[in-house]
Amino acid sequence: QSMSLSVTSAQMSSWRRQIFEQLSERTKREMDNFKHYEQAIEQAVWVKKGSM
Amino acid sequence: MADDKDVLRDVWFGRIPTCFTLNPDEITEREAEPYYLLLPRVSYLTLVTDKVKKHFLKVMKTEDVEEMWFEYEGTPLKWHYPIGVLFDLHASNTVLPWNITVQFRNFPDRDLLHCQSNSIVEAHFMSSIKEADALKHKSQVINDMQKKDHKQLWMGLQNDKFDQFWAMNRKLMEYSTEEGGFRYIPFRIYQTLSDRPFIQKLFRPVSPEGNAYTLSDLLKEMFPAALPTEREPKRYQVLIHGIEPLLETPLQWLSEHLSHPDNFLHICIVPAPSD
Repeated sequence: QSMSLSVTSAQMSSWRRQIFEQLSERTKREMDNFKHYEQAIEQAVWVKKGSM
Repeated sequence: MADDKDVLRDVWFGRIPTCFTLNPDEITEREAEPYYLLLPRVSYLTLVTDKVKKHFLKVMKTEDVEEMWFEYEGTPLKWHYPIGVLFDLHASNTVLPWNITVQFRNFPDRDLLHCQSNSIVEAHFMSSIKEADALKHKSQVINDMQKKDHKQLWMGLQNDKFDQFWAMNRKLMEYSTEEGGFRYIPFRIYQTLSDRPFIQKLFRPVSPEGNAYTLSDLLKEMFPAALPTEREPKRYQVLIHGIEPLLETPLQWLSEHLSHPDNFLHICIVPAPSD
């Protein structure tokens, strides 16, 4: 119940819209020119260790 | 149309392009090339730098290698802070990639905690989650989970598995409708020019009258100098995951959507660029 539902543009509060916009600007700024860089974590298949 | 759940993805998949360079004082057998990597903002330096270590060890003799540590412009980087926090605090407003120096000697014991294995990071991460749940739910949610559930949170972070992590983390984000939020908001406020590591106090998401507190209310109480005034130009930037949320943003929403995987809302207060 804590997750908000999707809202239309008209309903969206300015603070929420501003967060969405800034996050996509952040992606452009920090990632768009660096897509050729290697990822630090390889996307390996998740293996659950049975040590517990 | 954007959905609040997209925010969780954007936060999780944030990356900092980084250039690692070996400290020139290290003894090497041949010149060490820099190493370039995309670092997850929500992870920890020592957890995601195996490749960096392997790269530099190729040019070094075993006897010249002690514990690896990192420095940015003379500041040792605390591995137990999330990577995004280190970047926002020390290097926001600089040109990318982020230039980090790698060192294998002269470990600065006064500034950094030792971290010889991933199990140290795991212990730190889990203790933060437990502390956050003590604040949010009097530890009820984390204590109701099984050991395998705790492991799922950790493995989700370690292996960069968003769905695996959030399948469990969503339980830590629940609260009753009557209460309108968590008991207290787990937050930490960092500042660059301070001997204090961070500010952390009890703060509720909702006033006794039932009104939602905002980022502005939190700062008013914890760090009023960070709030802009009409009389002078902006002195500080208030950064969360590299963005500046509006001060009217409800704190409960921020805690649910912009907390790090350790369940704390990490807020960096840095001097505003003077351009």
